[in-house]
Amino acid sequence: MTFPAKYPQLNDTQLTERARTVLIRVVRVAFPHSRLPDGPYERTADIILKEAEASNWFRVALTQGLGSLDALAAGDFCSLDDDKAYKVLKRIEGTDFFGFIRRTTVLNLYDDPVVWEALGYEGPSFDKGGYINRGFDDLDWLPEPRIEEYDGSVQFEPIWEGPGSAATSGTGGAGTPTAAGDQVRDNLKATLSTQQDPREGAPADKNSRKAGV
Amino acid sequence: MADFDQNDDSVVVVIGSGAGGGTVTNELTQAGVNVVLLEAGGYITNEDYVNNEWAAFNQMAWLDPRTTTGSWRIARDFPNLPAWIVKAVGGTTTHWSGATPRFNPHEFKTRRHYGRIEGANLIDWPITLDDLAPYYPQAENNIGSTHRGGRKALPANNNYKVLANGAERIGYHFYATGPYGTNAEPYDGRPASIQDGFNFQGDKQKSKWSTLVREIPRALATGNLDLRPNSHAVQITHDARGRADAVLYLDADGNLQRQRARVVCVAGNAIETPRLLLLSASAMFPDGLANSSGQVGRNYMRHTTGSAYAQFDKPVNMHRGETMAGLIADESRHDPARGFAGGYYLETLSLGVPFLAAFADPGAWGPGFTSILDGYANTAGLWIVGEDMPQETNRVTLNASVTDKHGLPVPNVHFDDHPNDVAMRDHGYKQAELLYEAVGATSVQRTPPYPSTHNLGTARMSAHPEDGVVDEFGRAHDVPNLFVSDGSVFTTGAAANPTLTIVALALRQAEHIVDSLKKQEL
Repeated sequence: MTFPAKYPQLNDTQLTERARTVLIRVVRVAFPHSRLPDGPYERTADIILKEAEASNWFRVALTQGLGSLDALAAGDFCSLDDDKAYKVLKRIEGTDFFGFIRRTTVLNLYDDPVVWEALGYEGPSFDKGGYINRGFDDLDWLPEPRIEEYDGSVQFEPIWEGPGSAATSGTGGAGTPTAAGDQVRDNLKATLSTQQDPREGAPADKNSRKAGV
Repeated sequence: MADFDQNDDSVVVVIGSGAGGGTVTNELTQAGVNVVLLEAGGYITNEDYVNNEWAAFNQMAWLDPRTTTGSWRIARDFPNLPAWIVKAVGGTTTHWSGATPRFNPHEFKTRRHYGRIEGANLIDWPITLDDLAPYYPQAENNIGSTHRGGRKALPANNNYKVLANGAERIGYHFYATGPYGTNAEPYDGRPASIQDGFNFQGDKQKSKWSTLVREIPRALATGNLDLRPNSHAVQITHDARGRADAVLYLDADGNLQRQRARVVCVAGNAIETPRLLLLSASAMFPDGLANSSGQVGRNYMRHTTGSAYAQFDKPVNMHRGETMAGLIADESRHDPARGFAGGYYLETLSLGVPFLAAFADPGAWGPGFTSILDGYANTAGLWIVGEDMPQETNRVTLNASVTDKHGLPVPNVHFDDHPNDVAMRDHGYKQAELLYEAVGATSVQRTPPYPSTHNLGTARMSAHPEDGVVDEFGRAHDVPNLFVSDGSVFTTGAAANPTLTIVALALRQAEHIVDSLKKQEL
């Protein structure tokens, strides 16, 4: 990916203040959060610029990419509204230039305490005594559930192989496993070829089928 | 701590200090056997852990280069990170979630019960649930599993409240906050959970079991353990009779060392264990040590997984509290009418904002992506974890063209989903959606599998030497004093999270080794 430059001065490519402004706008349009202030976006852009310094390829790609966004925008990328700017980025999402920005943003924008706070993530907790007295169980819009294992009348049936199977009859007949395998295969085919009822397999279903066995 | 001579050929050398290696080490040293424990990672203590997802990942994860091939999405999204495991004393027990269900009886006999499934290399385990009957309670007591041995259940945290209510409303019965390997009240000299929400980052409170907090210190206290961190095994050598006689390893300075051995136990997790056996090829074992079957590295399993993150119009705060203290077992049964063989669990799971951003939908961006994070405070999460099919072509091999910093070939992990895996994952997603919608979810994000945390099957147990690598005690069919002590020995994966079973198998293996040593059979 990193091709050697014939003339080393090609590596002297500098990203301008204008490039930084465009980059901040790119990051915000690609990762829009209405609750976020500018700070995290600016910090992320600066991390991207710093990482680009370490790689000739990314620096060249970033310089060229940011410079050409205005052309794609038929004017000033930064003056496009969110919708139009998003459409421009959609056209270049397969480029290394954009991939570098996307990946670096995902790994850094969301590793910022200001972003955590805005999104409702509370970060380190051990030093505050965990959440044992700070709301680990404060959800109050659902009933308090059982925490112990079920001890009612329904039995957990670990295996169901069909009528006359080893598990059902209690004998290990030699021909039976093949029948079970056939059923797996048939059902696999059915699953792959048709839309399965998502409720299939819920315990109520199983019980009604077992009742018919 | 003991300090055994490198030429002392009476010691047992254990490679890897996680669930399997740490347990075997403790059992052997308690019985008076001298052990040299080689651990590739450093000695990171609970106090060293950090409550920050990326910083902790960088501190603990096995980041040595690996490569990937195959159609699994990991090869595209995380090509150099096939597995998310730990490189440190205590191994992956230092970041495991903590769920400890047992296998169902039929999961030891899948070839018999599932029949012949095209593309799946199913065989039955050489043992049954009855063989593990004495060891499961012992493993649960060591781990301190809640809901077992009279131990208290953990209270319901926010994420569990959503899971359990949803489960109840769609007709599930078999849900609870455990069994789970973290103390609900003080136990075994360690305190109760403070529900700090950090599990994958190591537990600073020490209320979660790991071999770092239990087996390693106890083994050290016997005076029979020589623990060597930062010691990366590169080859197991053998004598003219084909018996293992020493382990070559790189020390912290990258210098090659040789420790002689009477017995060798390999427990490097299911990628490094086959890599080491393959690196140990010799004239006598041209395809790798203990590989006359050709099965070393094959049948790599990673459990069929996926996550669902559901948004509500009210707060959940899933990040508060024990990450996986919530299990639903209803779908863990084998019921081919669902369209696949085997079963799966649904278990609570939460990620912080940094990791949710990285894993929720790798490669995604734009408003659809950011809406997942905008709803963070109102989000509940669960993990689908079920049995995947062993396939001969899912395989750990040595990469002929990529080497690590020591010049050793890196492992390549090849994986393709079996149609059975795909059908199970899809069923799990649908059940998760039903469950969350039953309690008012406004949206549910289907998150693809993370880099593998459950790595299994690459040195599998078999009754017959031609079908697998080790026997029912984890002893190599081809090399009588070589044992495999980790999840690599799993003949098939079962639905259950594997740690409890790895510990139970290691307890059984250690008893066998001690017995064999006493009888001079080793």
